[in-house]
Amino acid sequence: MGKYLLRRILQMIPVVLGTTLLVYALVFALPGDPVKAMFGDKPVNQAVAAQIRAEYNLDKPFIIQYLLFLKNALTLNFGNTFAGQPVIDEIGRAFPVTIKLGLMAFVFEALFGVAFGIVSGLKKGKWYDSVILIVSLLLISVPTFVTGFLGQYFIGVKWRILPVTAGNDPGFIDLLMPAMVLGSASMAYVIRLTRSEVSSNIAEDYVRTARAKGMSNRSVIVRHVLRNSMIPVVTYLGQDLGGLMGGAMISETIFNIHGIGFLTYQSILKGESNMVVSIVTLLTLIFVVCNLVVDMLYAALDPRIRYA
Amino acid sequence: MKKKSLALLAISCSMAMLLGACGSSSSGGNSSAANDHTITAYLTEPNNPLVPGDTNETGGGKPIQLAFSGLIYFDAKGNSKNEVAQSITPNADASQYTIKLKPGWKFSDGSAVTAKTFTRAWSYVANVKNAQKCSSFFSTIKGYDDLQNKDRVKGDEQLSGLKVIDDQTFSVDMAKPDSTFLLRIGLPSFSPLPDAFYKDKKAFGEKPIGNGPYKVDKWDHNHSIKMVKNPYYKGGQTPQNNGITFKIYTTPDSAFADVQSGNLDVMDTIPDSAQKTFQKDSSVKPFNKPGSTIQMIDIPSYVEHFKTGTQEGTLRRRAISMAIDRKAIVDKVLGGLGKPARDFTSPLTPGFNANLKGVENIEYNPKKAKELWNQAEAISHDPNPFTISYNSDGGTKAVFDAIVNSVNNAIGSKVAQTTPIPTNQEFLKPIYDHTMTGAYRAGWAPDYPSAENYLFQNFASAAADGNGSNNEQYKNPKFDQFIDQAYTAKSVDAANKLYSQAQEILLEDLPGIPLYNKANVGVCSSKVKGYQMDWKSQPVYNELKK
Repeated sequence: MGKYLLRRILQMIPVVLGTTLLVYALVFALPGDPVKAMFGDKPVNQAVAAQIRAEYNLDKPFIIQYLLFLKNALTLNFGNTFAGQPVIDEIGRAFPVTIKLGLMAFVFEALFGVAFGIVSGLKKGKWYDSVILIVSLLLISVPTFVTGFLGQYFIGVKWRILPVTAGNDPGFIDLLMPAMVLGSASMAYVIRLTRSEVSSNIAEDYVRTARAKGMSNRSVIVRHVLRNSMIPVVTYLGQDLGGLMGGAMISETIFNIHGIGFLTYQSILKGESNMVVSIVTLLTLIFVVCNLVVDMLYAALDPRIRYA
Repeated sequence: MKKKSLALLAISCSMAMLLGACGSSSSGGNSSAANDHTITAYLTEPNNPLVPGDTNETGGGKPIQLAFSGLIYFDAKGNSKNEVAQSITPNADASQYTIKLKPGWKFSDGSAVTAKTFTRAWSYVANVKNAQKCSSFFSTIKGYDDLQNKDRVKGDEQLSGLKVIDDQTFSVDMAKPDSTFLLRIGLPSFSPLPDAFYKDKKAFGEKPIGNGPYKVDKWDHNHSIKMVKNPYYKGGQTPQNNGITFKIYTTPDSAFADVQSGNLDVMDTIPDSAQKTFQKDSSVKPFNKPGSTIQMIDIPSYVEHFKTGTQEGTLRRRAISMAIDRKAIVDKVLGGLGKPARDFTSPLTPGFNANLKGVENIEYNPKKAKELWNQAEAISHDPNPFTISYNSDGGTKAVFDAIVNSVNNAIGSKVAQTTPIPTNQEFLKPIYDHTMTGAYRAGWAPDYPSAENYLFQNFASAAADGNGSNNEQYKNPKFDQFIDQAYTAKSVDAANKLYSQAQEILLEDLPGIPLYNKANVGVCSSKVKGYQMDWKSQPVYNELKK
């Protein structure tokens, strides 16, 4: 077990190095000149532009820029933004908000997704199964920005049930609507996944055997059907947690949340390679860790899976 | 057993994180009710530290405008009024200015505003070593060129044209006559800086010390900039409220929703989604008056078949211009929030004349347009369509589609087409490199209220070749001559007459094709009184009341 963990952790190093190089190259390849863009539509003072370029190493060839970034990153210095703010500070401000938002969306998605999925999987064909199916289909097909704007207008502006925007140092109530909007599409997937797993497992031979041996309905469902149905669901949820962190951009912009998604978007527009690479590296780490946790959970769910 | 405990650990860890996330929740929402006479206003996160000479965008520009006072300020209509200056006296040909300061002005840290705080700050911004983005505003002062060679300056050299006479007086020698200097000094980059700035620039950028009507209390990055009244302020822009708290937003849409629900007091822009409805919305007070920005399409002088000064090029330029139904575009696409352009400036610009000679060249006349185009085709056939590029991240697609439709309806299908470019940076590159093959989106928002600012920067030969915003490389000595004459004009009126004459040349040549002046639009919540927007399309913050 320990060896397996160590091996997985060591695997992270090439993954992270590869990602940083790739992302750095992609930002570098973006057309346009970030320094000229700083002057907006106003005249560019070439001498000042050259001065700024030298300050941010933008006058050096790509590979030198990348190596300089790596060298500094090893000493935990991720450089400054064009606004003169340390990259690490910006991420430090944005990340806690996104973690809150992502985890709230995750809980929402996992709780309601699994619960509704089980209900409709066990009672296939009942009216509430049809309702759940239709609603989940709706949530999958309507894009987040539509649910977001509709929720904001009706629940926030019209009926005044929840705050319209999250704003400064958002708390649980402020983030409730954004989290539901963010998690809604994934929740619908979880419902459908759980439903199909439960309904197919319930028809398996081992369930019939268990019932024939006189097990109570409750323990058949909880100990056999659910446990087996959860493996693909847990896989999906684990992948999705990383996705929620990185993909929160749309709900962040709608609800005025200055989180990682919005920061990434703005940094790409400004061509701030240090910032983009740092964020992506962080997200990569989250993905890798989430995957590791998922693999560990498999072992708990399925006794046949062992790691050595 | 081992496996199970690990799974439990993983689950309990994630539970702990969740509880932590939920536990820190606060009531949130309506926090604006507590301090009644503080106004909350819309802002985007500043792109730069809050230093006047390094700020060239509105996110940082608004707080800077409130935190610093220069020699003069502009009132809402754009008239200049003395602020720190007692008197500004030019010599006969506007090549030297003597400036006297009012006594007793202080920065918010209590230190005195002296002649030296001005000259030292101006030299700092002009010095290339300090990489200040507004440095080129100082280019007409004597000694500017010496400070532009980065290998020869250290950063603390002074502009040779600035001389401190005594604590309250200094003189400015210009490199050449410049009557616009009288207005240029109203730019925030010409503000004085206290000694504290040079001691710790980093701290200053976070919490500047100025001499304006307000001072920065706290800049909470990505959330808010809190500004309170500056007790030392003694100028003409007395605050009518207790302070301004700028709230920083990701998008105008989210800010607009906050105004609708009473969580935000004023905003000076309207999201696209609300442009058709905001004037009928009963939950907000709308503002809609003519504005000072001009939108154009520029056709570089070097584009084949469109070269300025050639008969074919002029015919084609006029044909395209007359084929554009500006009124229909303003009414249908912009929802009426604008006015068809009548010149190369705006109706708010001093000296504006809606009926200059040649204005018919920018009026809709589809029949004439077709005629002129056919004449041009007879001179030389252009096999390629006329393209108009724009950046598609700016939300202007509808306008350019409408322009192309209008041109194609008037002259003939397939004459024009749009070329959307995904990002602004990519869009700007061929413009700066002078490798465009057609027209492109252009526009100008004035830095100070004068026609000179529009005309010189966009069309003068001295602003071409990367030295200004004349990216279309238009060079016409006749035009330059009028602008140069205006620099030595004895009065503002005399200068404005010369600017009108210069514009008549532009209306002949059409180096750019003026489209429309966007309206100044904004909203405030129903509790706010005294909302108005100035010549620069910004709210007059100090006059807001609740």
